[in-house]
Amino acid sequence: MSYWYDAHLILIQSTFVSLLLALSIQFPLRMGVFSFAGIGSYGIGAYAAAIMTIRYSWPAFAAIGAGMVVAMVAGYLLALLVSRLDGLYLGMATIAFTLILTVVAINGGSLTGGAQGLYGAISTLQTGQVILVCAVVVVLLALSERGRMGRRIDAVREDPELAVSVGIRVIRMRRMAFVVSGALGACAGGMNALLRTTVSPDDVGFSLVVLALTMIIVGGSRSWAGALIGSVIFTWLPQVLQAVGDWQTVVYGVIVALTAVYVPSGLLGVAQNGYRRMRRRSGPVAGATEKATGSEEPGGDSAPLEPLSEDVPTGGTR
Amino acid sequence: MLEIRDLHVSYGKVEAVRGVSASAAPGRITLVLGANGAGKSTTLRTVAGLVPAVSGEVVLDGKVITGRPGHTIVRDGLVLVPEGRRVFAPLTVEENLLLGGYVAPRAKSAETLDRVYEMFPILAQRRRGAAGLLSGGEQQMLAFGRALMSSPRVMLMDEPSMGLAPAMVESVFGAVREIADAGIALLVVEQNAELGLEIADDVVVVARGEVVFSGEAEQARSDASVVRAFLGEAALSQ
Repeated sequence: MSYWYDAHLILIQSTFVSLLLALSIQFPLRMGVFSFAGIGSYGIGAYAAAIMTIRYSWPAFAAIGAGMVVAMVAGYLLALLVSRLDGLYLGMATIAFTLILTVVAINGGSLTGGAQGLYGAISTLQTGQVILVCAVVVVLLALSERGRMGRRIDAVREDPELAVSVGIRVIRMRRMAFVVSGALGACAGGMNALLRTTVSPDDVGFSLVVLALTMIIVGGSRSWAGALIGSVIFTWLPQVLQAVGDWQTVVYGVIVALTAVYVPSGLLGVAQNGYRRMRRRSGPVAGATEKATGSEEPGGDSAPLEPLSEDVPTGGTR
Repeated sequence: MLEIRDLHVSYGKVEAVRGVSASAAPGRITLVLGANGAGKSTTLRTVAGLVPAVSGEVVLDGKVITGRPGHTIVRDGLVLVPEGRRVFAPLTVEENLLLGGYVAPRAKSAETLDRVYEMFPILAQRRRGAAGLLSGGEQQMLAFGRALMSSPRVMLMDEPSMGLAPAMVESVFGAVREIADAGIALLVVEQNAELGLEIADDVVVVARGEVVFSGEAEQARSDASVVRAFLGEAALSQ
């Protein structure tokens, strides 16, 4: 175990950093906000942590925290700027935000180290601490998927106007999505910079946007568990695919394409369906965990209902 | 008590609503009739705070609510049931209802939930099913139930019978009457003039953004030419 751990330490660290990065894209996506600003925040966090460590010898968590604060403010300002954009246009605008930051990093002179980036950001950050932070984040996000908060987020995604009608402050929720995304992205970037002790503009480019999106699409976009599945797969896949040599990128692409086409709900969706089917086959479970308030309806089961009449709704009825 | 006074609404340069006045009183149904594009839906959406008014006033229980953001209006006791049976499709029936009670205190929500299930037993049966899998009529009931969860004093309904099977339309209108009889003021936009007139107390006819008739339903019912003049023969025989 310990040997395996030491031999794969970098991959283990990368898995958790990737998880935070994927979550920074997934959180806004759960509210229907198609924003890649989390990747730009990753850059902000990475550079801020490296600068604070190298120049001012700040302790690891203070340096990472500084980047998170900057990224949260940037996220809020960006949210104000793009408040009228939606869907693909929002995606494009936030990718532009990320690419602009890359340009800033390259031309930042001695502060950002130009195209070479920064070296020697040596800190006391340990893998265990990274895992702990991830655990806290995952618990908080898991809570945000349940109960009142979970319903509120689902409502904003499914029908923002209807959400306004029931009294939800949709605009504020969307701004919050940008702020939280900024915090998560910057945390991932800061940790990565301190674990690797370096950061360069190449670490924060378009490829990172693709990677984060891939993790969520393949893993599943609705829950933190999907982001976890995606980050594990795409951190370890290159290692596994070394056997096929040059074909690595082809296999990689095929996997992504097949998932997008055949399992749009991601591997998490497949796992959940399988679990439900298994449970149904083994009969109704007594005292099954129900999250809603009321008591169990006599004869009521949790199996999906069949459509009853011909005027069945089509997804987003307008 | 809801009063709309001389409301004007524009989408860019197009004037959609040009001086509409209407009111809704507790326990009464005010039916808003008019052809497609007459400005009925826009009127409701403006009252609910989803579209800004150019001029005019919306007064709710003596308080001017014009220009207030949409999410605050439901707290004042006015709720919109939008067009097209909109529900949060992947969420369960119960989750939809709980979202309807978003602005209500939690303890009260549980109580109102029981009342809604009593009023619409089908929703109680389907409480754990996805709202998107309900039939059209059931979705309309869910939309009503969701609106009731905020304990409104005034309810706006945008075309509750649209796209429903004829048998379903009758039970939807039955539910509309039942909601009004519970003491809620209703402002209902409808295309189905014949059935609408059967349950309405007051009628407002809108054409090209303006009010062309306003009076008691009795009057409009007995004088079918009033309606015929603005909606055409087809609307009466529909």
